[in-house]
Amino acid sequence: MAGVSARPRWQDRGPLGGLARAQYAALLRARWQMLTHSLRTPEGYWELGARGLGVIFYCMMGVGLSIGLGFLAYVLAARGEWSRMRLLFWTLLLIWQSVPIGLAWFQGHSDMGDLLRFPLSFGSYFLLHLVSGVADVSTLQGGLCALGIWIGVAVARPDRAAWALAAVLLFAAMNVALVRLTLVWLDRWLARRRSRELVGAALAALVLSVQLLNPALRKENTEHRVPRHGPVVEEPQGRAWPQGTARAAEAVDRWLPPGLAARVLAQPSGGEAGLALAELGVYGAILMALLGLRLRAEFRGEDLSEVAASGAGARAAESVPMRGAGPIAAVLQKEVRTALRSMPVLYVIGAPLFMVLVLSSLLRANATEGWGRTAIALPACLAYALMGVSQLIFNALGTEGAGVRLLFLSPTPVRAVMVGKNLFHGSVFALVAATAWVLTSVRVGWPNDVLTAATVAWLLFALPANLAIGNQFSLKMPHRMDPGRLMRRRGSASSALLTILVQFGFIAIAAVVFVGCARLGRLWMAVPVFLLLAAGASYAWLRVYDGLDELAAANKERLIETLTRME
Amino acid sequence: MASAAIETERLTRRFGALTAVDDVTLTVAPGQFFGFLGPNGAGKSTTIKMLTGLLEPTSGSIRILGEPFHAGAVELKRQIGVTPEGMALLGRLTATEYLHFAGRMYGLDLATTRQRTEELLQFMDLASDQRKLITDFSHGMQKKLALAAAVIHAPSVLFLDEPFEGVDAIAAGMLKGLLQGMIQRGATIFLTTHVLEIVERLCSHVAIIHHGRLVANGSIEELRAGVASRLPGEESSRRLTLEEIFLSIVGAEPGAVAQELSWLA
Repeated sequence: MAGVSARPRWQDRGPLGGLARAQYAALLRARWQMLTHSLRTPEGYWELGARGLGVIFYCMMGVGLSIGLGFLAYVLAARGEWSRMRLLFWTLLLIWQSVPIGLAWFQGHSDMGDLLRFPLSFGSYFLLHLVSGVADVSTLQGGLCALGIWIGVAVARPDRAAWALAAVLLFAAMNVALVRLTLVWLDRWLARRRSRELVGAALAALVLSVQLLNPALRKENTEHRVPRHGPVVEEPQGRAWPQGTARAAEAVDRWLPPGLAARVLAQPSGGEAGLALAELGVYGAILMALLGLRLRAEFRGEDLSEVAASGAGARAAESVPMRGAGPIAAVLQKEVRTALRSMPVLYVIGAPLFMVLVLSSLLRANATEGWGRTAIALPACLAYALMGVSQLIFNALGTEGAGVRLLFLSPTPVRAVMVGKNLFHGSVFALVAATAWVLTSVRVGWPNDVLTAATVAWLLFALPANLAIGNQFSLKMPHRMDPGRLMRRRGSASSALLTILVQFGFIAIAAVVFVGCARLGRLWMAVPVFLLLAAGASYAWLRVYDGLDELAAANKERLIETLTRME
Repeated sequence: MASAAIETERLTRRFGALTAVDDVTLTVAPGQFFGFLGPNGAGKSTTIKMLTGLLEPTSGSIRILGEPFHAGAVELKRQIGVTPEGMALLGRLTATEYLHFAGRMYGLDLATTRQRTEELLQFMDLASDQRKLITDFSHGMQKKLALAAAVIHAPSVLFLDEPFEGVDAIAAGMLKGLLQGMIQRGATIFLTTHVLEIVERLCSHVAIIHHGRLVANGSIEELRAGVASRLPGEESSRRLTLEEIFLSIVGAEPGAVAQELSWLA
């Protein structure tokens, strides 16, 4: 081979050296080529179109939030209410950090692990990870919101525009690092059974403590109101406690990133603002260092596979009690075992529950008396929980990989396999729905009986309808799902978009029925209406079930190709 | 005396309670065609992953070309070529595009990358379908492409994990020629394969790993002499094949069936 003896001419090192720059260029070029090649098929165009629609949708959401936050920033800056500005930064932080969790079932992630065999420095690996992570929905929406806050402040107080820009930029950088840090550590924690249990226990303890704290706080508030309406009584000693707590919280908040960002805007003198800015920078540096610590372990060749880590996880999965010798039982058992070892599956189950907690808190905070937001809390939270599980339902074969061939080689009809999967997904949904129900009831309160019955009836309609449509989607539009690690998951925008649209359809049907019956003053009528729809959905599921083998045979080649091909 | 091309000292990798590679110490001299053998699950791929920086050793050290090796040893990595387990190709690129990518990732300039890509594609008989995506390649074609990507930067040390698996006889012959040519020009090759006939023909030295431990290490003649010395009478004078040597060392009888499966027709 001529020319093989020539040595590389670059000698400079580091993440911005000649070799690194050439590697970035090669990666960018390869990504571009992969994108253009994906357009060779109609599915590729559809996927690109779905991604485009997704970006437009999230941009619109971001612009809306940005305008709202910008207006508030303008009002607060114009009035000089700088201390309240920290609430805007807290909102921005919440949006930035909750979007990746809330949209876990939509976004894919780039896997940098395959690059480690090349002469890549750690600096380059870190930079690539950071840059690839920046290009996501949370940065898009968070960035737009941050821009809105800056414009609001700059228009109201042009003299503080420069400081506001520095604060917003640094706050944004800190948020980017925090999102990446959260995701990589989540990946690490969820990868091992023991740490998964620890994190689960910590989360459960957190939720429980919030629940225990709530009644105490509510009791305090109730006690404060008593003297206003009842006889004058001695001021309870507890009154000072919430004020003290508020003062303590404010004092702590001053040193947290949102408080620091607000302090930069509030300080008229450069020295004070500079100090707050430097402290904000320290937060960013600490987060970057923690991110670097995690990525360093990955770079050095950490193995996070469950089987490799310990046989304990496998034993736990094998110990799942399940009886039955038929193929449906076999599929069900395999699904349970796979789910217990699968990051994306556990995440799509867990993430909606976290969002249900957030959603129920928001609804509780904005609750009005009577048939207000409290009333819609339960259906809204359950609809969100269903949306998370629907990703599994709509891509039931996604985790099969090359194992999908066995479905076509074995004498078991595909419809039997899908029944096993439907049973599993139905059980998962029942579990998620029950947990969401408990969370919502504790946070917002138990809804009235009619509403509860109507919600159950809606679920009886939505679940079989989802399963019927999901079975068709699973066979017609499968996409491969890496059950190994969360951050190595490749999403399908088109599938996610269709899933969301279908879910919006179910939610719209629920809204029309609920609102219609409520307007008529006969909310109870929603129950028979949903039961009627449930009967229709069950019939549709049966019809789809009858045609599953035919559908699988018609899509066999596509299924095998999609689920077994390399990315 | 020149430094060893590959040197490990008490290399160990544990996965929880399982010790996949246990206290492995070995030396591969420069220019050696080294066969690393072992039954399934013996620890071959784990060893290669550690030697190429894809997996961190639990303990022990690695030196490549005389230098301590770790995942961040960029300059050393530029002198290493790897065909990893599973090949790690980018399925949605064409062969040309992938080789351009690999060349640039190893730091070759564009002109050299293009020239070598063209030569490698011709050599590997992959040049005929320029528009075909890698994902549509046959398994053997993908193997050849993975090897092409591993040698595009003319590495001094080449790690090959099962390079002949799924490759037809014509392509295998061509690949053997390529590897022997590299050895003649001074490269070192560390090869794992289950095709013992290939190891016997190509490799000058062999190590055998079993249950994570190195159970044999030396030239094929040394191993042959060692096994023959344990055989009785006339058997010891017979020229043993590598398969017989291997089975003897890992403790399996040729053609042995561990258990009679009475239900199997």
